[in-house]
Amino acid sequence: MTDTAQSTDLKLQVDRRGFLKGCTMVAAALGISEAMIPKLVEAATSAQRPPVIWLHFQECTGCTESLLRASHPDIGRLILDIISLDYHETVMAAAGHQAEKSLHDTLDKYAGKFLCVVEGAIPTKDKGIYCKIAGRTAVDILAEVAPKAAAIIAIGSCATYGGIQAAEPNPTGAKGVQDLVSGTPVINIPGCPPNPISFMGTVLHYLTFNRLPVTDNLGRPLFAYGRRIHDHCERRAHFDEGRFAEEFGDFGHRNGYCLYKVGCKGPETFSNCPSARFNDVDVWPVSVGHGCIGCTEPNFWDTMTPFYERLPNVKIPGIGTVTDIDSAGKTILGVAAAAVGIHAAIGIGKKVIKGCGCKNETKES
Amino acid sequence: MIYEEKHVWSILLRLYHWSLVIALIALTVTGFYINAPWTQTTLEGTGLYPVQTMRNIHGLAGYLFTAAILARLFLLLFGNRQERIMSMLPLTRRNFRNMINAVRAYLYMHDDYTEVRLGHNILAGTSYILTFIIALFQITSGFYLRLPENTFWQNWGVTFFGNQQYARFIHHLLMWYFIIFTVVHLYLVIWNELKHRDGLISSILSGNKFRLRKLK
Ligand code: SF4
Ligand code: SF4
Repeated sequence: MTDTAQSTDLKLQVDRRGFLKGCTMVAAALGISEAMIPKLVEAATSAQRPPVIWLHFQECTGCTESLLRASHPDIGRLILDIISLDYHETVMAAAGHQAEKSLHDTLDKYAGKFLCVVEGAIPTKDKGIYCKIAGRTAVDILAEVAPKAAAIIAIGSCATYGGIQAAEPNPTGAKGVQDLVSGTPVINIPGCPPNPISFMGTVLHYLTFNRLPVTDNLGRPLFAYGRRIHDHCERRAHFDEGRFAEEFGDFGHRNGYCLYKVGCKGPETFSNCPSARFNDVDVWPVSVGHGCIGCTEPNFWDTMTPFYERLPNVKIPGIGTVTDIDSAGKTILGVAAAAVGIHAAIGIGKKVIKGCGCKNETKES
Repeated sequence: MIYEEKHVWSILLRLYHWSLVIALIALTVTGFYINAPWTQTTLEGTGLYPVQTMRNIHGLAGYLFTAAILARLFLLLFGNRQERIMSMLPLTRRNFRNMINAVRAYLYMHDDYTEVRLGHNILAGTSYILTFIIALFQITSGFYLRLPENTFWQNWGVTFFGNQQYARFIHHLLMWYFIIFTVVHLYLVIWNELKHRDGLISSILSGNKFRLRKLK
């Protein structure tokens, strides 16, 4: 209980050293030069803290948890100190009508100036009734807040691409922010949950330069999602050398070999996990022996599964059979070969019955 | 019987064909390897880099494949009469009839093609155009996987396939198309060669086919 109270206290004191350390880490993550750090610090401490409205929709609050409670106390405090978090259901003190009032005050007072952070997907089916806050649907709330925001940061796989709610068969018609908002710039910080440093970097970039960082085709900031995990993974040498863990717990696994054959999705996933790492103890999934599951990629629940296989299964429409791609391929090849065999047999059979049906000879006679 | 020798396939088309053969064999073998590398060099420090080598060969063969497909694209537009796109698709009445005719011949519904064409029959031609389109998808997914940070390929890759994993999935599926295509292609080539005796198989080496001279 005390722990929760502490981490949700908005007026936490951050000592200067810890604060500078946080800024330096973010600068490193952003890949901006050391000379920029004072500017970053200035932006982070300026009296004009930009108001932030943090909307929660269909989600598990994992992103907030990772941001607030994980072992990035500096950063967790930093975010609460450098921005003015006017509305955040998990951490704000206000409740009920008070909370709604604070939301609307910010909307009116800072229209066009506040940052909006969205966590969680937005269900759109049946007029959006599957997610309601204060009697209004997520669709309505987003439609009211989004046009007034200066920019929207979609945090987590749910807010960016729909997340697990949007996985097959997507019963609530869940969608990510970018599919519903136009006109306001949206930046995606996918991940389940995303590394707080990627989120912080984006916020500080915005405060320092007054614009959102450069993104890739999927709206993810390049500084955090510009590179494939596989291309900067510490086990890559084992991959190139053909040294693999064949199954969990075997010789290769115990020796830290590449996790490709137990389904690591590093070759398909863009993220800074191998370099930024998590929780201040310098670990990330692959470093502790589990493959990447590709959580920063669109629709990863559908496309990256099975998590412990290399490729998705083939679903045969109609029959509903699910099989791995190579046995499906072999089956079709078998059918094709059988068809060829039958075709040839019919041809030969006809010749045997009719005699040589050779065109040239018939013509000659 | 008098046969005349007729020029059918240009040098570029024959080069295209055999480059494709070499590329497809290399791509399939290395592709299977990359998907499930079966070597395990538990000896450390050997510096053999089998996976890296296989990926390099795959990349090289991929460029050969792309070059071949580009050559075919050129020929589809500017090649000789047999090689152009319009003599491969059932878009004219005559071509459409030829396609039906070919289907019936393949189903043993009649014994001879009444119209002997120099180039592909339209059924074959259409299947080659389909294969050509599939090859374009294969190239796009291939480069998307190969050059993940290149914005050009990223654009196309994201548009057609979504994330990298799906591109890989489709890339793998389409490889099976090429394997099955090869089996059917080889069978039908042999079948046609036995039926028509016009030098179909040798034409892809020599460029020439044989035709019965019409006796006037
Ligand atoms: S992205 Fe993942 S961690 Fe974040 S709210 Fe969704 S399910 Fe939870
Ligand atoms: S562990 Fe995963 S990311 Fe690392 S080299 Fe192997 S396949 Fe690539």
